[in-house]
Amino acid sequence: MQPIQLFKLASQQAEWLTVRHTVVAGNIANVNTPGYAAKDVEPFQAVMESTRTKMAATHSRHFSDANLRDSIRSNEINGIAVHPSGNTVNLANEVSKGSGIKREYEINTSIVKTVNRMMLATVRK
Amino acid sequence: MDPLSLSSRIAASGLHAQETRLRIVSENLANAQSTGDTPGADPYRRKTVSFASYLDNATGASRVKVQRLGFDNSDFVVNFDPSHPAADEKGMVKMPNVNPLIELADMRETNRSYEANLQTIKQTRELVTLTLGLLRNN
Repeated sequence: MQPIQLFKLASQQAEWLTVRHTVVAGNIANVNTPGYAAKDVEPFQAVMESTRTKMAATHSRHFSDANLRDSIRSNEINGIAVHPSGNTVNLANEVSKGSGIKREYEINTSIVKTVNRMMLATVRK
Repeated sequence: MDPLSLSSRIAASGLHAQETRLRIVSENLANAQSTGDTPGADPYRRKTVSFASYLDNATGASRVKVQRLGFDNSDFVVNFDPSHPAADEKGMVKMPNVNPLIELADMRETNRSYEANLQTIKQTRELVTLTLGLLRNN
């Protein structure tokens, strides 16, 4: 019988979303800090792919927090998005990113809930 | 520490920084007319606040803190008022270098940033609620 991969995948995505939320919170907190460059994490797919190859090489190191934190990048924006103080945080952008994270997290948890219910239904009968 | 509680701590650091800023703004506004009381004395000098991002090495999170409280070294406004106790021999009184318009604009910006940080905390709580919802029997 094949093991069910969905829970693992879902928890990995939840972890990625929470780390991203932390990064967004940091950007919002530093919205008035001079010289602060806005940060973001790499897309989930890129993080997944890089971890998969790493896992194949070592087998001991699984998808961890440290891996995700390494993927935090600050994107230098040039042009009008930079404040005179050198700050590159766009507040509207960060807030919409935050609500996007919430939506994805909601989808994630409802999928887990549904699959869990399905599995319980199989076991009970 | 898990990323979600870290999020709310970062937002709390933002709230704290903006609170300090609002305090300085209100000090400036309250003292917009505070002159000296001896002839030729300096009046209230406008205070400034500057923020710095500080990286928590243990967690890799970028919090914010008040780096320093400074003074605005621009020139004082001089008014002619010979009857004032702080007037010098020419009858000129130095008034504080506080511009209420700038302070009000600063106050609004503080408000917006504070709201954004509060929103982050609210959102964090919603994410935690969603996670806890998995444990509830349905």
